[in-house]
Amino acid sequence: MQSSTRKMGIMTDVHRRFLQLLMTHGVLEEWEIKRLQKHCYRVHDRNATVEKLEDFINNINSVLESLYIEIKKGFTEDDGRPIYALVNLATTSISKMATDFAENELDLFRKALELIIDSETGFASSTNILNLVDQLKGKKMRKKEAEQVLQKFVQNKWLIEKEGEFTLHTRAILEMEQYIRETYPDAVKICNICHSLLIQGQSCETCGIKMHLPCVAKYFQSNSEPRCPHCNDYWPHDIPEVFNPEKEREAGTSKSNKKSLRSRQH
Amino acid sequence: MSEQSKDLSDPNFACEAPNSEVHDSPGVPVGIPAYDSPAATPAAQPQSPPLGPTAAPQAEPEPQDPSDEGDPKAQQQAAEQGRAHQSPSAAQPGPAPPAPAQLVQKAHELMWYVLVKDQKRMIIWFPDMVRDVIGSYKKWCRSILRRTSLILARVFGLHLRLTSLHTMEFALVKALDPEELDRMALNNRMPMTGLLLMILSLIYVKGRGARESAVWNVLRILGLRPWKKHSTFGDVRKLITEDFVQQNYLKYQRVPFVEPPEYEFFWGSRARREITKMQIMEFLARVFKKDPQAWPSRYREALEEARALREANPSVQYPRNSVSED
Repeated sequence: MQSSTRKMGIMTDVHRRFLQLLMTHGVLEEWEIKRLQKHCYRVHDRNATVEKLEDFINNINSVLESLYIEIKKGFTEDDGRPIYALVNLATTSISKMATDFAENELDLFRKALELIIDSETGFASSTNILNLVDQLKGKKMRKKEAEQVLQKFVQNKWLIEKEGEFTLHTRAILEMEQYIRETYPDAVKICNICHSLLIQGQSCETCGIKMHLPCVAKYFQSNSEPRCPHCNDYWPHDIPEVFNPEKEREAGTSKSNKKSLRSRQH
Repeated sequence: MSEQSKDLSDPNFACEAPNSEVHDSPGVPVGIPAYDSPAATPAAQPQSPPLGPTAAPQAEPEPQDPSDEGDPKAQQQAAEQGRAHQSPSAAQPGPAPPAPAQLVQKAHELMWYVLVKDQKRMIIWFPDMVRDVIGSYKKWCRSILRRTSLILARVFGLHLRLTSLHTMEFALVKALDPEELDRMALNNRMPMTGLLLMILSLIYVKGRGARESAVWNVLRILGLRPWKKHSTFGDVRKLITEDFVQQNYLKYQRVPFVEPPEYEFFWGSRARREITKMQIMEFLARVFKKDPQAWPSRYREALEEARALREANPSVQYPRNSVSED
């Protein structure tokens, strides 16, 4: 193990602190990651030039590789914001969650996950999830309890709630993609563009292929006549805008942005 | 450092415990023979941080961690421990030893488990570790634990520390940085160290041997005279010309071709091994209240040495400052 560390990236205190803090926060957006990186340089190696983020992360990942963990980059499915999380690649179980939740709570999550994957929209209604409470493994759980457990999932960034419906948090998608693909190979949806797991997205009404909203945005950028890449039929949905971090910062004073930023920080 | 905290390398009891009743062990479980292994208490050497050299040699044979002194000693102990550990259970045919790869995988799982528990600010309880991760590999939990703490130190700069032997709780702490250690060592240890460093730094700054006369000029700062007996140091002259020389910290040689005979001091082999140039620079900076860069060529040398040391020993690195959370 040590020999592979030598040949690949070199871990310095800058990298170690970065890892420590990333681990503490769990999941971070790109601007937070950049700030974190600068902070770590400031603390440990003031005079060094800050390495390009991509190289910095690849360097760390080469060391983490033999440990089956990785700093994974993903994008929020609704508006394409880049986010990063430290992910365990071992897919034997829902590893990260296993330590936090009781058996029946984990099973509730599994049930919710199945409903989400099977759904058309990528959302499962609270009612449908709660109706499955009787089928849970382990200690019997009442619906009231289950509601609280669902809220716990939201707080821990495994689920997102929107108007009484639940979908997977980006962090859960990053962490569990492999697990999901292996456990639900038939039900799982894949984006036609990036070939990653798809929970929310748009689909072609003719041939049924699906694409992530940010993937749609990039693919059809400045294309006045968007057509399905698979069957060439007219693409019937609104084309969202490509995520622009600059615009994001300018609009940073707007209430909704502030709120979402704050909610992403611990 | 909390008074109760112990280095992971120290209480290898950790794995004996599950064999005895974990929950009720009030004090130290049986399996702790003379575990105050000398390798685990490197207090003698101001330079070696507690975790690195001790954990390293005690881990699986990993040739990249040459900690000269600790290695053969610790491996011998590990062998002894292994033997002692096996004799009580020799009666029952144990399960077949797992492949090394499996132990490595368990160590990785344990690492993640510990990281996540810490992230959630949950208690890291040893029996939980055994139940949730180690499972049937209980018998090898010692080596698994060792490997895990090694990885955590190397990759994350975190110390898996047993905070309470009584409740078997672990905590993940930021590793103590070597500089704090040095400061501790220098302040608390025998003032001999200060005296020695004074002479070594003089030699270093001169870039060649230091004449005895020059050394005494410097020692005057400490109020020391060759003819005066000092309350702490005693016979200073004997100390520096005989004792330190015998311990290989200094070399005391006659200057050739000079009449009447004069003597000069050089760094001894032990000083070269134990004390880094950077430590000298920092000592000088403290004493003269100057920036170490006030001796530019020496400082450059110290940087070179530090870099060479880092490349030779990529394992021994720790966060330099105490952590401030974001």
